[in-house]
Amino acid sequence: MRELDLLTDFSQKAGTTIDPKDIKIDDTTLRDGEQTAGVVFANDEKIHIAKMLDKVGVHQIESGIPAMGGDEKEAIKRIASLDLNCSVLAWNRPVKNDIQASVECGVDAVALSISSSDIHIEHKLMKSREWVLETMKAGVDFAKSHNLYVSVNAEDASRSDMEFLLQFARTARDAGADRLRYCDTLGILDPFETFLRVKNIIDIIGIDMEMHTHNDFGMAIANAIAGIKAGATYVNTTINGLGERAGNAAFEELVMALKFVEGVDLGINTNLFRSLSEYVARASNRVLPTWKPVVGGNLFVYEDENKVKGVLSDPSTYELFKETDVGLERQYVPGKYSGINSIKQKMKMLGQKVDDKQAKELSEIIRNKTVSSKRSLFDSEILDTYKEYMGSSKKTKTGKGKDKNG
Amino acid sequence: MAKLKKDRKINIIDTTLRNGEKTAGVVFSKHEKIRIAKMLDGIGVPEIEVGTPALGEIEIDIIKAVLKSGLKAKLFAYCDADIKAIETAAEIGAKNVVINISTSDIHIKKIYKENRTWLINKLREAMRAANKLELDFIISAEDATRTDLEFLLKLISLSKKKGAKRFRICDTVSKFDPFRTFMNISTINNAIDFPLEVYNHNDFGMATANGMAAIRGGAESIVVSIGGLGDGTGNAALEEIVMALRYLENVELGIETAKFREIAEYVAKASSRAVPIWKAIVGTNVFAHESGIHADGVIKNPKNYEVFNPAEVGLTRQLVVGKHSGSHTILHKFKEYDIDLTDKEANDILALTRSMSVDLKRPLFDKELMYIYKDYKSSAKKGD
Repeated sequence: MRELDLLTDFSQKAGTTIDPKDIKIDDTTLRDGEQTAGVVFANDEKIHIAKMLDKVGVHQIESGIPAMGGDEKEAIKRIASLDLNCSVLAWNRPVKNDIQASVECGVDAVALSISSSDIHIEHKLMKSREWVLETMKAGVDFAKSHNLYVSVNAEDASRSDMEFLLQFARTARDAGADRLRYCDTLGILDPFETFLRVKNIIDIIGIDMEMHTHNDFGMAIANAIAGIKAGATYVNTTINGLGERAGNAAFEELVMALKFVEGVDLGINTNLFRSLSEYVARASNRVLPTWKPVVGGNLFVYEDENKVKGVLSDPSTYELFKETDVGLERQYVPGKYSGINSIKQKMKMLGQKVDDKQAKELSEIIRNKTVSSKRSLFDSEILDTYKEYMGSSKKTKTGKGKDKNG
Repeated sequence: MAKLKKDRKINIIDTTLRNGEKTAGVVFSKHEKIRIAKMLDGIGVPEIEVGTPALGEIEIDIIKAVLKSGLKAKLFAYCDADIKAIETAAEIGAKNVVINISTSDIHIKKIYKENRTWLINKLREAMRAANKLELDFIISAEDATRTDLEFLLKLISLSKKKGAKRFRICDTVSKFDPFRTFMNISTINNAIDFPLEVYNHNDFGMATANGMAAIRGGAESIVVSIGGLGDGTGNAALEEIVMALRYLENVELGIETAKFREIAEYVAKASSRAVPIWKAIVGTNVFAHESGIHADGVIKNPKNYEVFNPAEVGLTRQLVVGKHSGSHTILHKFKEYDIDLTDKEANDILALTRSMSVDLKRPLFDKELMYIYKDYKSSAKKGD
């Protein structure tokens, strides 16, 4: 019965507005992003990314794992001393030595991460639930004795027994933790399940919550939003969704989804999204897919006749935001699916005027050429096609056009 | 939260060959289209959108070839709500068509430059033509999520009355999140008893979640494409929907998922778009573990960090050795080469591995690990 009530509840909440002041982004590109198999950032790259994140208006940066020592610790120290507007957090196991290393780095916040699922407790930690609670509590105590902001991370929370998770959250709260990070470590939740569980913890324990979602089934963004709807106030994101396996909730997608689907404007400077994404793509040695939501190079590239007709008449026919909102460019690329409007627009941009009949014939020629070359044509090829076409149509008209191939 | 009923029947219709190809810059050859259709059919996809006959001779030639290739799947041609387009589809031998029409006021006004009455007539004419030609048809409402709900319901009942098989709700501009999708589909479902199908775009990364929410709301069918290939940000990915149904909802479609990686690779080549290594379900990095905590967990028991076995989607597990590796990974990796390291050796080699990985800005190849080991051993000998 409770589930049914909640179903109605979230259906209603779907329409309500969340207060943007309450929602904070904690970006973990530098920690979970770098933890991705195969990704290593140089320290200078880390500094640059931290500065960019701060510049666009992120609230907190998860800067790395001080306990790894060496270069990693050095980078965190440098980031903490940059005098950024945002908070700088470091990741730890709830172990004295780890937290001590964080203190030495000068960060203002720590995440203390420990698994709360029985699968992890038995098969990874090889310990007991009691040990988990004690270890976590001791960690919070130690961190708090150093006046740090503390996020307790329930790793594998989504596979944890709810009763134990509540006990875990209560222990964290009572020890003085500032928030609880709900980790869907394996990305196995859907938005409905996420909503119910997060709401349950907030209702019963009343602790600030953060969403950490993974994209294994393509639901990282939807789950993060579901958590926010349930009352979570922090979201753990990464630029481009960089992260273990299928990655995390992408920073740029989350910010734009909140703004344009949920009507919640966090005041983030989105104009820099494309350059931020390109930078991280290069630093992580991963090409940015042209179809990547929000920042892909192909998002405002139009070939399809219906869409061209629509966006030329009014961009809002097919767009909820403008290309300049995220630092992209608009293009018209004639191809197999183009027609009169697309060709006329392209020719206009190339400085040529054609009428409807010419545009129709040209679109057929371009369709054939696109199919035989199995790609879009370059502007120069389109111009050549146009010149050839004009030449041959002149020839049929006057009967004495120049023979191009002659 | 209750999962879907296990015996609930969900249909998927793949549009890789139609909306997938409509992606700006993507062009499939005839050979590729036939191959992709056969692959989809081979793994058990029940319905396939083959192409758009109105594009003319080149496309018609390809559609005919696919129609004749003896597939079990139900094959659809895609038409605008235009009598001539529908007639063309029938002429070239299509038995099933998707009839698309934009239903939002903004599209009616800005694209058709007409009004709702005009639209209703246009839809009526199209359905009359399809009925006359004895075609099975689905009505597809483009921009349905920005369409006035009452008007949309009117169009759905009209489609039902005129013999459509299903009604497709298109979230053309990715307007909805899963909650709104769920509400929208349940509302329509409660108002009219008629099979609904959903078509989602991925503009805010929610195509799959929205598709699943629609199914939860009562939709019977969902439009997918391989790797999510589609115009703009693309569609709900076939592999994500099938696996999400299997593992999050316990609904088994009977698709041969072990072929997913192979098919994703083929479509990637044909569309000149590499499969991102982090692509959910089929990316090669999905089962690669580097960080000490994760790799250690996977070595102890794959269940710690994996929901299903990599072979289930045609992938393999990899342990990557790099900056974030822990000593357990090193021990395990060397065991693969029949070398039993002591804990001290593992820790020393780990330190060397991390620093080399940071220098190179990448993980290490197995061979590089062996060099480290040999150097370490010889320097240890010197030290003795």
